[in-house]
Amino acid sequence: MYYKFSGITQKLTGSAPTAAYSPQGLRPGVPAEAPAMIFATPTKVVSEAGAAVEYMGANKVPDLQRIFQTSDGIPIHLKRGVPDRLLYRTTMALTVGGALYCLVALYIAAQPTNK
Amino acid sequence: MAHQAHAYHMVDPSPWPLTGAVAALLMTSGLAIWFHYNSIVLMTLGTVLLLLTMYQWWRDIVREGTFQGHHTPPVQKGLRYGMILFITSEVFFFLGFFWAFYHSSLAPTPELGGCWPPTGITTLDPFEVPLLNTAVLLASGVTVTWAHHSIMEGERKQAIQSLTLTILLGFYFTFLQGMEYYEAPFTIADGVYGSTFFVATGFHGLHVIIGSTFLAVCLLRQIQYHFTSEHHFGFEAAAWYWHFVDVVWLFLYISIYWWGS
Repeated sequence: MYYKFSGITQKLTGSAPTAAYSPQGLRPGVPAEAPAMIFATPTKVVSEAGAAVEYMGANKVPDLQRIFQTSDGIPIHLKRGVPDRLLYRTTMALTVGGALYCLVALYIAAQPTNK
Repeated sequence: MAHQAHAYHMVDPSPWPLTGAVAALLMTSGLAIWFHYNSIVLMTLGTVLLLLTMYQWWRDIVREGTFQGHHTPPVQKGLRYGMILFITSEVFFFLGFFWAFYHSSLAPTPELGGCWPPTGITTLDPFEVPLLNTAVLLASGVTVTWAHHSIMEGERKQAIQSLTLTILLGFYFTFLQGMEYYEAPFTIADGVYGSTFFVATGFHGLHVIIGSTFLAVCLLRQIQYHFTSEHHFGFEAAAWYWHFVDVVWLFLYISIYWWGS
C-alpha cells in the first residue's frame, strides 16, 4: 500500500506508487520567483508572416505598456501628461461652470412672470 | 505598480461618473430650457460634456485593459456578465415596442377601420429595399465572424479588411434606411401605424449607428495592435452587440415590414 498527503482532508490517503514517490503535499511551498510570462501573439512571428507584420504601422503597444505601468502614483486619466491634463481640465471646467449655469437657468425658469 | 496578491482590478478614483452625471443634468434641464425659452445653449453644453466624458472614460478603460493588464481572466468574466446583462436589457427595451405593435395590429380598433395596415396607410413593399437591408445585415454578420476568426488566428491584414467591410455594410444599411424614411408614404404622425413603425425602426437604426461606432473603435484598436489572438474582449462585445442588432432587424422585418403589410 502506498500513501500520499491529501490536500483536501490534510491526512494521508491511499495512492498509486508513482504519486507516493513524488509527494506533492510535502513540497517546500510555492516557488519564490514568478513564473515566466506567456504573451498572447498579436500577430504571427516575423519569420512566419514576413511583411504583413508591419501592415498599417508598427506595434506601439509595448512602449505604451511601459509608459502606463510606471508606478508614479498618477491616476490613469492623467498618466499621459499634458494632453490628458488639458482635456481633464476642460471637462472639469465645463462640469463646474455648466452645473452653476444650469442652477441659475433653472432658478430663473422657476420665477413666474406675473402680468 | 504596487504588488497585489489577487487577480481583481482595483480601479483608480475617477472623475467620469461625476462629469457624466452633470452632463445628464445639463442635457435634461437643457431640453426643458429649450422647450420653454427656445435656447439650446444648455443642451449643447450637456451634449459636449457627455461626449468628452464618453471619450475619456472609454480611453481609460483601454489603458487599464490593454496597457496595464488589469483585465485578467476573472475581470474579463465580470465584463462578459456585464455585457450580457446590458444586451438583455436592450432585448426588453425592444420587446416593449414589439408589444405596442402587436397590441395595435392584432386587434385593430374601429378607428383604424378594423384592419391592419390601417385604412389609408400605404405600406412599404417588404420585398424591395427592406429585403436588401436584411441581406446587408446578414452579410455583415458573416464578415464580423470572419473578422473574429482572423483575430483569433493572428491574421492581422484579414482582420482589418473584414472589419472594414463589416462597418461599410453597417453604413450601407443606415444609408438605405435613410432613403427609405425619406421616401416613406406615411409619417410618424400618421396614427398608430406610423408611431409603431418609426419608433421601432428608428430605435433600431440608432442601435445600428451605435454598433457601427463600436465596430469602428474596434477597427482603430485592431490597427493599433490592441487585440491579441487570446485577448480581444472589446471586439467580442462589439460582435455580440452587432449580432443582437441583426436579430432585432430580423424580427422587425418579419413582423412590421412583412406580416404587418
